[in-house]
Amino acid sequence: MSQKEKTPEQKEYDQLQKKHETKRPILRNCVVAFFVGGTICLIGQAISFLYIYFFNFTEQTAGNPTVATMIFISMLLTGFGVYDRIGQFAGAGSAVPITGFGNAVISSAIEHRTEGFVLGVGGNMFKMAGSVILFGVFSAFVVAIIKTLITQWFLGGF
Amino acid sequence: MKKNLSRYSILFFCLIFILSACSSNQASEGSITALFTEVNPAPLSVEDSESRVEMAQKIREIILTFDDLYDSAIVLGKEDCLVAIKVRHTKRFRMKKIEKELKETLEKEFPNENFTVSSDYKIFLEAVRLKDKVKEENWPVDKREEQLQKIIKLSREQT
Repeated sequence: MSQKEKTPEQKEYDQLQKKHETKRPILRNCVVAFFVGGTICLIGQAISFLYIYFFNFTEQTAGNPTVATMIFISMLLTGFGVYDRIGQFAGAGSAVPITGFGNAVISSAIEHRTEGFVLGVGGNMFKMAGSVILFGVFSAFVVAIIKTLITQWFLGGF
Repeated sequence: MKKNLSRYSILFFCLIFILSACSSNQASEGSITALFTEVNPAPLSVEDSESRVEMAQKIREIILTFDDLYDSAIVLGKEDCLVAIKVRHTKRFRMKKIEKELKETLEKEFPNENFTVSSDYKIFLEAVRLKDKVKEENWPVDKREEQLQKIIKLSREQT
């Protein structure tokens, strides 16, 4: 008997499981993620405008301090335990923006605090967010190479 | 409950401190809405001679023929000319191309001027602020030119 064919008991169990399984509210999750993620981005845009309006930053240079501020705010919210609640409510809406990245770094740093600053906080703070940095840097490297090749070879210089 | 309240109040004050930190008193009447709304400021010439003022007006007329733009601020200096533009939201994917096209058109029309065309909101804001300062505080020509050079330098900053 092949492994893929299920016994009548297994089929019966599948049906029973489907009957009692809690349905995931996909549409609700998408709508909430859209609005909460959008609100976080709106706050980011407002901070960016603040930097442009009150400080000597242009649209191009305001990006870095804006990202730093957003991560700082998410650090405070994670420390006070507010970001976890937002994460439970909004799901991807709170994980996809830069604040989700900040939350991933800071929550692991807090979690491993008891193991000491070097081996605990230092060694574990990038446990969750390390892959984001790695893939981000690598994909940026690949895209930069493709852009350089296209602009140098096909379009004849920059 | 009390503990939660004090936590939220600390959080609230931290946010207030972040958002209101170190603001300088640069705001002038006209520049407050310049980031969000259409202000269409009149072109400014650093020198008060009639020919330069007329030239600034001509530059503005050329810019008005570009349908992709909805607002512009022009500051004509002694040798440099700063043109700050706002590109329509749906055309922002083509922003750099529009900047280039406008610069080429202006350079063709006025070959003796050094044009700096920028679609950055900050540059637009600074151009409006300069115009307001000249009007309100009656700045001398040297100071106007100095400020114009500062804005042009800012527009070239990358990081």
